[in-house]
Amino acid sequence: MNFKEIMNIISVIAIPFVIFSFLFYGFFKKVKVYESFVEGAKEGFNVAVRIIPYLVAMLVAIGIFRASGAMDVFVAILSPITNLIGFPAEALPMALMRPLSGSGSLGIMTEIMKTHGPDSFLGLLVSTMYGSTETTFYVLAVYFGSVNIRKTRHAVLAGVISDITGLLTAFFICKLVFG
Amino acid sequence: MNYIWLALIAIGILTAIGTDIYEISINKYKNGVEFQAFLEIEDDFKFGTQLRGNIIVSGDYFKEFYSLKNFKVDSIKNEITLNVNQDGKGVLIVKIGETTPEFWKLMAKGKGVNTDKLIANVFNLEKLGDGKYKVTLVFEKISFVKMKQILNAIIEYSDIAVKIAIGLIGVMALWLGIMKIGESAGLINLLARLVKPLTKRLFPDIPPEHPAIGAIIMNISANMLGLGNAATPLGLKAMEELQKLNPKKDTASDSMITFLVINTSGMTLIPATAIAVRAALGSGDPAAIISTTIVGGFAATIAGITSAKILQRLKIFRKELEENENQKEVQG
Repeated sequence: MNFKEIMNIISVIAIPFVIFSFLFYGFFKKVKVYESFVEGAKEGFNVAVRIIPYLVAMLVAIGIFRASGAMDVFVAILSPITNLIGFPAEALPMALMRPLSGSGSLGIMTEIMKTHGPDSFLGLLVSTMYGSTETTFYVLAVYFGSVNIRKTRHAVLAGVISDITGLLTAFFICKLVFG
Repeated sequence: MNYIWLALIAIGILTAIGTDIYEISINKYKNGVEFQAFLEIEDDFKFGTQLRGNIIVSGDYFKEFYSLKNFKVDSIKNEITLNVNQDGKGVLIVKIGETTPEFWKLMAKGKGVNTDKLIANVFNLEKLGDGKYKVTLVFEKISFVKMKQILNAIIEYSDIAVKIAIGLIGVMALWLGIMKIGESAGLINLLARLVKPLTKRLFPDIPPEHPAIGAIIMNISANMLGLGNAATPLGLKAMEELQKLNPKKDTASDSMITFLVINTSGMTLIPATAIAVRAALGSGDPAAIISTTIVGGFAATIAGITSAKILQRLKIFRKELEENENQKEVQG
């Protein structure tokens, strides 16, 4: 049994296990489990509705950016710089899209692997990049939105630094392992 | 956030306007230029009725007509309908389908409405015999393609935003309910106590046994296992608890940002989506990227936490917090 199989089993049983142990422990501690659950779950709707304005603001801005083709302009500007470290220009749209849009970067990853093959260096690189960082701007909008925070201080900067580090590390490690 | 938001929108709209004006200046879509092609009509030819058939264009002519650089199709055959009067004038409709060249698809998309077809005015129809005709036509005018795409994107993405939020209601309710049981039973506190040595350093301003710590740990575990469905509700629960400790309700606290950076760096032990896509595209070893992804995610997380910890000390990022404290003194 390899690492992947073990991880798959854990991810499958994790949620049922957590739910079961919470319920059982609560029951053991004489908590009125059903009433308690309903009490907590009531808030679900409010949280979801609360993030709508933040999500609309963020996704519309990202939508405009994506539809305008501005990405191509950025790729053209940045590629001479990334060429210096040998970063392939084909993977640059992936690096730019990853923090902005989950569906967008998934599309780019799939496209690149279709064109160059999933086991080519580019294919391995973009799929590593996809997993190495999250959709920063979406996460920021949803998480801050859920508690109505509008002044985000250094969150964006720290998030972007982490994205750049993740993407560059993905490149260097891929070069080391697959290059 | 204000600047980033504005920048995304402004860059987007300016790029679109620039592209549109450029495309008009070079007449990229050849508005008003006569296009020549051959037709194969399947129905019996009759003036003034709708006839079905195909348009045949040689690849070289198409490439030259639209000044395309990369166009490698030898011959284009596309479904059409034709309706001409006795004077040879009429309307030809190109149906956008699988055999339609990309450039025509782009033109149809650029119309904004009726994007499943391209309409052209027929100026001359010459019979060659055997259901074959030579036709001269001018396609409908196409301009401001990017602006129309932006307009569509605005509407589409506001819709997506609401759908995502609505889609969260169910799992959100489920996990908030489960967490409530855990809280009432003291399980969340127990969890928080277990990881105290680590969280004490990461989140110094959260009391070690606060429910926020429990929610944070559960969120990070869910992320590690690639359980996105559970991770978001647990993360939002953690934000709610962090907000209770936050003195200034519209401004992010240090702990919130540290927590968020851990989330945006997306440290995961099993990159399930990437593996699934690789497998679907016929990779010989879809899981080959697990180790590299773990390294990438780990580096992102470390860099994120470190930069959050350093940036939070900087004056420009402290200002918003301290403004609040000064106000308090004045009020007190």
